[in-house]
Amino acid sequence: MTDLFPVTALGDSAPRNARFGALTLSENAGLALASLALRKGQAAPAPFGLALPEVARAVTSGPHGAFWTGRGQWMIEAEGLAETDFAAALQGQAPGCAVTEQTDGWVAFEIASDTGAPLEALLARLVNIDPRTLGPGCCVRTGLEHMSVFVLRRSETRLAVIGMRSLAGSLWHALSQAARRLED
Amino acid sequence: MLIPHPLLGLRDAQEFTYLGDAALMNRPDPDAPGAEAAFCDYVFLRDNPAGVHRELWYHEQGDRSWLVVTRNTLTHEILGAELASDVKAGAAQ
Repeated sequence: MTDLFPVTALGDSAPRNARFGALTLSENAGLALASLALRKGQAAPAPFGLALPEVARAVTSGPHGAFWTGRGQWMIEAEGLAETDFAAALQGQAPGCAVTEQTDGWVAFEIASDTGAPLEALLARLVNIDPRTLGPGCCVRTGLEHMSVFVLRRSETRLAVIGMRSLAGSLWHALSQAARRLED
Repeated sequence: MLIPHPLLGLRDAQEFTYLGDAALMNRPDPDAPGAEAAFCDYVFLRDNPAGVHRELWYHEQGDRSWLVVTRNTLTHEILGAELASDVKAGAAQ
């Protein structure tokens, strides 16, 4: 049997971290994702006790979170469960809904800062969205250097950027370059 | 150019892709008499108005919704945007 080694989305053996002044970038390799969509006329379930959020909002409850992706559609996330069959667990919580495994399609980068201001300065350089409208608990799907990404403001001082896994290197480059230039 | 998305507010037009005349939503009935002529019109013929035009835009780098955007083709002024699913539901009533 061939010896196989697990690698992260960036091709490393361990998740990548970097610090640029006030900003810390880290790859979140443990984040499990599954999409949940309602069928026509179906009432919204409450998987893992999450009250599925309104337009462009995100909620969390313990290790689980949910963010709005479209009308009647959400992405459900779970911290540290990327190695498990999270879609099956979610399907059990949301019978009848359309659930699709998404973990392997995406890469999540977490950006932390001591205060909120550097995060907003970084957002202003990266996305064509007014950073002041992206307060804690908000999420948005938009373009970042021609890549489609979800931007989640997890709290005043924490931001997550979830992009396509096959573009992980380009996304890391975009984020780290913008963060590095903010140091100057 | 900013498009006033009914759910998400003002969004950059670069996030959208353009399809064309919103009349494309009204597909002819293939079983009706004269369907061939109706489909010929539907597939090949378009109005090309100089002025206010209703057109379909897809929010590809966003919530993946289809919008019916009312735009003035002379000034590029965007006069309004509605969700195409709402327009379709309203027309069916």
